Amino acid sequence: MRAVGIGVAALVVFAPAVAPAAEPWGIPHEKPVVLKGRVVEALCHLKGVCAPDCGAGKRQLGIVEADGRFRLVGKGQIDFAGAAPDLAGFCGREVEADGLLIENPAITLFFAQGVREAGSTAPFTPTERFKAQWEARNGPAPEWWRADPESNAIIAETGPLGIKGLVPKPKP
Amino acid sequence: MTGLSQSWSRRVWLRSALPIVALFAAGLAGQAQAQDGQRVSITGEIADSWCTVSGLMFAKGSAHHQCAVWCALGGIPVSIRDAEGALYLILRIGDDTDSVANPRVARLMAHEVTVDGELLERDGVKYLLVDQIADDKGVINLTHDEHGIQPFGN
Repeated sequence: MRAVGIGVAALVVFAPAVAPAAEPWGIPHEKPVVLKGRVVEALCHLKGVCAPDCGAGKRQLGIVEADGRFRLVGKGQIDFAGAAPDLAGFCGREVEADGLLIENPAITLFFAQGVREAGSTAPFTPTERFKAQWEARNGPAPEWWRADPESNAIIAETGPLGIKGLVPKPKP
Repeated sequence: MTGLSQSWSRRVWLRSALPIVALFAAGLAGQAQAQDGQRVSITGEIADSWCTVSGLMFAKGSAHHQCAVWCALGGIPVSIRDAEGALYLILRIGDDTDSVANPRVARLMAHEVTVDGELLERDGVKYLLVDQIADDKGVINLTHDEHGIQPFGN
């Protein structure tokens, strides 16, 4: 029994690291990594202010690694969109996330490009759920951001520069 | 005590202790690192964290307002960037704990604000729990003459 326990421990310790396949973006301080850990909601993890289902996609999420480090996941594969829709379904579960860890002196963020259940040998699922969810609510659009009703309402009210009545100079 | 009664006692103890252990574990799962922060007042521009760190576009002021609204509503974490360039990632404003795609926050993008709240620093991130927005000057950093409208010029 003891031998089996030692064997299992050895397997865990010496399990081959998953090689990151994340696409480099040339972002300062980026480093391709596969994060392994538990999906948690930031406000709950840091402050104990918790919501059911990790906030059901309305709160920022991150991954707690085995050594206790908490990595906020700030970006997914869809332009102008985060990765909360991709992680929310894994709330409280162990995952592997392939992406770019950006350790900028101003802030450390993880750009998740793919995610899967821990220990799975399946390919990483691209972090593209935002688009599917957006299209389910609004219908298909080549650029979700220009078709987004909420964005358009704000920009109609404030103008694209954020100052009511201020219009950009026409292009030469 | 016979072997049978010892075994029964152990089982009763385990049965009564297990829910307590499970509750403790559940608490740890949610609040493993709950901590008290530092009271702060922060002044700076409300910015989307991704554009700021990626350097893929000019992510400041009026030129970036529209892009910042898109990012905020896309669920990119929203921060306050102070004069030194430090980013304070907002996890709540008042009682509003929605930090993903919150229209109220999106309306503040590129605004110069002063907020009071609690600062929690963890693994390279300054997290900010805003108690109140003490001042909101709106968009005052006029960058569009030089940088157009980010990111695509329209």
